[in-house]
Amino acid sequence: MTIWQEMLAENIHLVGARGRLDQSLNSQLEQTLTELLTAGHTRLVVDLSEATYINSGGLRCLVSAWRQARQQGGNLALCGLNQRLQEIFSMVGFDKVFQIYPTRNAALKKVET
Amino acid sequence: MGKKQVLTVAGRYDKVKKICEFVAEGARQAGLNEDAVFHVELCCDEASTNIIEHAYGAENVGQITISYQASEERFTITLHDNGRTFNPEEVPPPPPLPDSIDGLAPPEPSELFFDNLQIGGLGVHFIRSLMDEVHFDFSKQHGNTLTMVKYISSEAQP
Repeated sequence: MTIWQEMLAENIHLVGARGRLDQSLNSQLEQTLTELLTAGHTRLVVDLSEATYINSGGLRCLVSAWRQARQQGGNLALCGLNQRLQEIFSMVGFDKVFQIYPTRNAALKKVET
Repeated sequence: MGKKQVLTVAGRYDKVKKICEFVAEGARQAGLNEDAVFHVELCCDEASTNIIEHAYGAENVGQITISYQASEERFTITLHDNGRTFNPEEVPPPPPLPDSIDGLAPPEPSELFFDNLQIGGLGVHFIRSLMDEVHFDFSKQHGNTLTMVKYISSEAQP
């Protein structure tokens, strides 16, 4: 279980979650996103293709980062959600809040614009 | 009716995974499919987190006792704590999101939407949506007991 990051393109950062987004991993995700946003990196793609689980804490963490990115003139898109994660996002309407794409490249194009 | 299985842990966040694994194993043995096991795990996660955050108000304040029992048709989970009353039935559902109009993209949620996303509300919404029955009991003598039931016969339905 880990959170990883890399630079996708100029000033676009990719953050990925591997494993269960639960109490133990959510704090790492929050810290990583907060550090990027605080450093002014506001164009973010969060890759959840290797995330097997998410709870409400994980959702709140993503919503908080998305809001902060938008307030700073940036954007945050998600990609790679499996069917179970899609179900959780839909259940609380967050599939309407977030821009969710099947692939990393599609999400990248969205945050570039 | 299967034998009741019981686990008691300290009310700490690092114990939530243990609770989830304990119940998930029982749910698999009871015949729930992996989607239903995922739902059960998530609901136990949310319920345990709410106990620590709201009933106890902090970690290491009290214990959480979780039990499950399976019959042919029902997988019943109870979570018990001795903290303050936290009645999930009193938590309002998440506020509605703006709908799209005439095929246009929906407007972004307002500040009010996020302000109204009550703490604990998302977790309670998951519990209400994913479990077939949810009951809450409180007594000053015996504390809080949340009972959640997943129908085994219904989980195979589309």
